[in-house]
Amino acid sequence: MSGPIDTSGGTGIVLNIQRYCSHDGPGTRTTVFLKGCSLRCKWCGNPESIAFKPELSYAAAKCVGRKECGACLKPPFPEGAFYVPDGAADDKVKVNWDLAMDCDEAMVSLCPPGALEMFGKRMTADEVLDEVEKDASFYRSSGGGMTLSGGECLLQPDFAAALLKGAHDRGINTAIETACNVPWAHVEKVLPHVDTMLHDHKLTIPERHKKWTGVGNERILANYKKAYETFPDVDFIARTPLIPGVNADEEHIRAVLAFIRPHKNVIDYELLPYHRFGLGKYELLGEVYELDDYKTPSDDLVARLQAIIDEAFGRTGPKAAVVK
Amino acid sequence: MKEIGHASSQRRIAVMVGAGHVPGLNAVVMGTALAAGKLGWETVGIRDGLDGLLYPERYPHGGLVTLTPELIANLDPNAAGILGQAPRVDPFHVRRVNAAEMVEEVDLSDQLLEKLKAEKIDALVGVVGGRGMSILYKLHRKGLNVVCVPRSIENDIAATSVSFGFNSALSFTIEMLDRVREAAQSARKIGVVEVLGEQAGWLALQAGIAVCADVVLIPEISGDLAAVATRLKDKVTAQRPWGLVVVAEGATLLDQAKGESKPNPLKASLSPLATGEASDHVIRRSGQAAATVVGRLQLLVAEELFPLVLGPWARGGAPTAVDRQLGMAYGAGAVRAVKAGNYGTMVAFVPPDLKFVPLPEAINKVRTVPVDGGFVQIATSLGIFLGRELS
Repeated sequence: MSGPIDTSGGTGIVLNIQRYCSHDGPGTRTTVFLKGCSLRCKWCGNPESIAFKPELSYAAAKCVGRKECGACLKPPFPEGAFYVPDGAADDKVKVNWDLAMDCDEAMVSLCPPGALEMFGKRMTADEVLDEVEKDASFYRSSGGGMTLSGGECLLQPDFAAALLKGAHDRGINTAIETACNVPWAHVEKVLPHVDTMLHDHKLTIPERHKKWTGVGNERILANYKKAYETFPDVDFIARTPLIPGVNADEEHIRAVLAFIRPHKNVIDYELLPYHRFGLGKYELLGEVYELDDYKTPSDDLVARLQAIIDEAFGRTGPKAAVVK
Repeated sequence: MKEIGHASSQRRIAVMVGAGHVPGLNAVVMGTALAAGKLGWETVGIRDGLDGLLYPERYPHGGLVTLTPELIANLDPNAAGILGQAPRVDPFHVRRVNAAEMVEEVDLSDQLLEKLKAEKIDALVGVVGGRGMSILYKLHRKGLNVVCVPRSIENDIAATSVSFGFNSALSFTIEMLDRVREAAQSARKIGVVEVLGEQAGWLALQAGIAVCADVVLIPEISGDLAAVATRLKDKVTAQRPWGLVVVAEGATLLDQAKGESKPNPLKASLSPLATGEASDHVIRRSGQAAATVVGRLQLLVAEELFPLVLGPWARGGAPTAVDRQLGMAYGAGAVRAVKAGNYGTMVAFVPPDLKFVPLPEAINKVRTVPVDGGFVQIATSLGIFLGRELS
């Protein structure tokens, strides 16, 4: 098994397949989100993508309550995992996440209204590609294709390589979104099948990177440098999720530019202003969001930092490609 | 159920402390070790939650502390730190950076049980809060002999009258409220003090009664700030130009202004008390309740208000006499439960007795302030306004 996720048998764990994406590489694209991440960014907007295996989610709005259903209050569900509190205003079920996390797909299927679901499912490469290929005409007309994202798509290197090679075999352009906190062998296995690599420069200083993501960035930067040099035909696009109080400052932007500009195949550097769109997902997973005090960056700040990038890339006019 | 244990009469038990600090934890450790010692058993303490067992290599003198009579005799009951604590105590989801430098969560529960077995520990006493109880219950279902001691600053653990740590936090809160009252008197302002109490308002209510606050806002009674302002106008006069408002951090308000942060139960959607519509996401932010109440009351009353947040200050310091007794009693009670084989239980103080309550009766519940109960009646009869008129 290469990577922490078992992809033997030609299957991988897919979180979601999202069509008509416009910010995940050139043209109109279908983004395939693979499950599992090797970082724990405190601002993460996709917490459902983090775990290495399918995991339970609970949408209270779909629960019809104990009187009408109550299926999860009985075996085979673990005792105490689901309950209706004494004196509750409604009879909707609550989740004790510590006791409920062992629920598997078979148990979840026993929830008639579908309030319980699993984030992530096993799929074969062909199953994914058949879905992706449905929009082939859009890819041709827009210059788009398929993007692998995550989580960290390089944590399933065999599956990712199979998907990307399969896409190429079907005439579909390929891109990946990665933070590259993986062994070089994973990168080396996947990149021969990639046209565009969108890659994150979250923080520049290793200690700060560790504070906000859980690990330092030494290996990530080494992987990037080696990738730039080993795969000259790949278009690399650097990206920074811009978070005031974390990395939305000139020092970081200039440090990233100093790192990427010597490499001519790094064709752009995009800013991704921080947003809080993913907060509701924390509730579905029974987790606490830790970055509540952080605001989205102001338009003025984004414009000022974008101007630094434009200047470094020799662009004179305003660049419209700040990804909102 | 498969039990991990040993038939020897010379038993060896362990005591651990869950995440979340309260004053005087040494008292429970002492009570456990002394009572076990009387039975001829050996007691070991696990350092930093369960880390001492899972990562003994981190500790130069070992991850377990043998709680010998000599050590116990010299242990400071006013201190809290002999075993230390860990910010997360969940062997089912241990976050770590693996050999491949990837962050991952792994299940070390089997490893933990093996290590307990290897150390010949046949029962575990856990001094834990509500979440810790769920985790120890899960370990119990895997075969571990577990007895829990309830520990809660907010006194929100069900099935016991008083959790360990509450009384110390209450005393500290009262002392701080007295000081704030003096400051408010001096400055001729209205002090708004946020105290701990995400889901239950015991600390705010009992401390508010002790200092005879003007207003106490708790999670159990949704407060109407317009009514609060009216009450403050009556009480804050030229002859008494100051006021004191106590706000539990999970206090709820009626008629939330649209778009304004509400002092809502933090982590609302994870609370057994929340309805499906309780919140759209889960957060933890100290100080929000006081800031919101001050911000909105400022528009409704003439006097100046100032916010103060006691929050984590109440978690430190020396235990009160009540908590010292309670800690010793809970420790001794836990040993009684172990001796009787009452595993998978929590020691509960149901005056005048200690009882052993099955863990499922304690988890998934919150001990809230009854709106028609004695403390609410006492507060009302003292003229303390609880956010709205109660019938």
